[in-house]
Amino acid sequence: MRKLLASLSALGLISVSSTTGVATAQGQEQVTMALAMPLSGAWARIGEVSRAAAECAVADINAAGGIEALGGAKVNLVVADVGGSPESAKNAAERLLAEHPDISGGVGAYVSSFTLPVTEVTERAGIPWLTLSYSDRITGRGYKHVFMTSPTSVQQAEDALPTILALAKQATGGKPDTVGIVMDNTPSPVGFTEGMRDGGLEKYGLDLVVDQVFTPPLSVAGPIVQQVRSARPDFLLFLPTATPDIKLILEQLTQFGLTRERLPLINNGGPMGTPDLLNVVGEHLLEGAMFITANWGLKGQEDFTEHWKECTGLPWVTQDISTYGHFWLLKEAMEMAKSADPEAVTQALHDMKLTEGPARFFPGGTVSFADNGRRENASIVIAQWQAGVPVTVFPPESAVAEPIWTGQ
Amino acid sequence: MLIEQFLQALTSGILLGCIYGLMCVGLAFIFGTMGVINFAQADFMMVGMYLVLAIAGSLLAGTALGAFAPFLAAFLVGPLMFGIGYLLHRGLIVCTTGLRIANQIEAHQAQLILTLGVALVLQNGALILLGSAPASIISPLSYAAWEIPLLYNDFNVLFVNKAHTYNALICVAVTLSLYWLIRNTRVGKSLRASADNPTAAVYMGIDVDRAHRIAFGFGTAIAGLAGGLIVLYYPVQPLVGMDFLIIMYAGVVLGGLGSLIGAFWGGFVIALVQQLATLVLPLQLQNATVFIVFLLVLLLRPQGFFGRTVDRA
Repeated sequence: MRKLLASLSALGLISVSSTTGVATAQGQEQVTMALAMPLSGAWARIGEVSRAAAECAVADINAAGGIEALGGAKVNLVVADVGGSPESAKNAAERLLAEHPDISGGVGAYVSSFTLPVTEVTERAGIPWLTLSYSDRITGRGYKHVFMTSPTSVQQAEDALPTILALAKQATGGKPDTVGIVMDNTPSPVGFTEGMRDGGLEKYGLDLVVDQVFTPPLSVAGPIVQQVRSARPDFLLFLPTATPDIKLILEQLTQFGLTRERLPLINNGGPMGTPDLLNVVGEHLLEGAMFITANWGLKGQEDFTEHWKECTGLPWVTQDISTYGHFWLLKEAMEMAKSADPEAVTQALHDMKLTEGPARFFPGGTVSFADNGRRENASIVIAQWQAGVPVTVFPPESAVAEPIWTGQ
Repeated sequence: MLIEQFLQALTSGILLGCIYGLMCVGLAFIFGTMGVINFAQADFMMVGMYLVLAIAGSLLAGTALGAFAPFLAAFLVGPLMFGIGYLLHRGLIVCTTGLRIANQIEAHQAQLILTLGVALVLQNGALILLGSAPASIISPLSYAAWEIPLLYNDFNVLFVNKAHTYNALICVAVTLSLYWLIRNTRVGKSLRASADNPTAAVYMGIDVDRAHRIAFGFGTAIAGLAGGLIVLYYPVQPLVGMDFLIIMYAGVVLGGLGSLIGAFWGGFVIALVQQLATLVLPLQLQNATVFIVFLLVLLLRPQGFFGRTVDRA
């Protein structure tokens, strides 16, 4: 009877460990990390770039000896396509966890409205999940297993104006007095400008002289740019999110003589710095355009930049350096926990206080998480198109080039 | 300043209206002759955009006329798209159209599903073959303009975009040529006869299936040509057709189903309303105003501007 109970309990343990992915034994062959990204639908291209970054990270981790604390276990990457809607994202996350019950941690899903349902699923399953999405709601739901390395959208909006003004002062010694806003009415720019309209601009002594909000896609940008030309703001918050709209407005601005030499232009979000945009819009129209982003190629990463180009096939470091860094953070957490058990990895991420290693992939060079999963001291950077390449120009400690602020 | 803004919006509306007009003409050509509501029309446009993108780079390269390569490419793509449409009709569309179809109502359902299927195949085929990255022609013409000084004020200038102007001229020329072809040539007469009364057309010795093939080919070619002109300032990706599909249908219905010239004016009016509305209403309502006008026209003149051909359809 005793033997029978011992056998049953052993079977039970084995069964539990195989379904939850618990792996504490030394000499484990592999650990599974997941990437959930939109690989079809309107955001497919963004997802493909993220996948390239993820594959590069996993290859680098494995080439560096895998997870040392687990006897050099290799990382196995599983990828899920979250499609083009929140519903498909939720289904994809459920399918991912059902097909791969051994997942120790995951990364995704870029678009905040996709990350929200994905993390609902992963939270229930107790899987630690890292994201570069920045909607406040992602880490505002009391979840314990979701970690965000970007500043939240509210924080980005709050930091944007003082950062822009500091950049203008650094570049010109003066302060702009008037601002224009051209944006579509999608959630990202609406959220970004909400605080600015509600007293934020006034607080920093900025007068909003032109405010154009449109529903994408635009047919022509003439009427919008005509208003900008009439008002002639000192700088323009340029916040369309769709590539065709960005192209149309930039072409119209140039046609109306409002080139970047005359009108500094600032966008919000990494898509403004993608290689695809360069192919579609062209170097001439993008030159001088700036954008605020949570991460970009930073000072001190010069050696890494060359490796990134070879590894991902991308011509420069994009904000997907966060995706790359996320896998290294998961690896680091496993080293700390000496386990691939999702709960142990989650706890290690909460306990993490990195100032070196993977921390170099994030602005500020430190990684630690608050109880709600937000990275402490996360800050924005500003990049600018210079000679056909978007380079970080602000803050000075992260900048790889001097900012060019013209039009004053 | 108000006059300048009005003239600028009017100019934008007129230039854009011509390209919308041509897009609608392609759809109306197919519906007017065959009675087929072609859900793949916007995706034929997408194919035309990709073809022009592929061809334009190798045309007139290094010459002073290099900037005009996309226009030349669009004209070369037209016949190519005609061939694609002609063959598509011969292989697929013919199964749901023509005299052999006994029940026209059931045929309409089959046509809808078939053309929707063609649209999905084109979209997903392009996604697999070409990927989802947007692509575009970068031409100085798309951000170059003629500056016309306004006499009442030295500081005010009317900007007329060069790419849009060339596009508009081509669209008007193609539409007038098609109209002339329909009215004055033997092929045009056979198309009109097949549209008016297919049975009588057969008795008069007209090959109705062939006429339908030609009509479908022309409709496809026009879509390809329009797409080829649009790609000069609008990036292409496999799902780009969705951005134009509703405008095409609204324009065709506004002009009067099946009327070639009506479809052109339908598209033209949509663009004008879209641009002029920005002078008095928030930009966000730009597209909503199009549909308000659309609904008003349907209420007051259900047959559209040129409704005569409704009887024919």
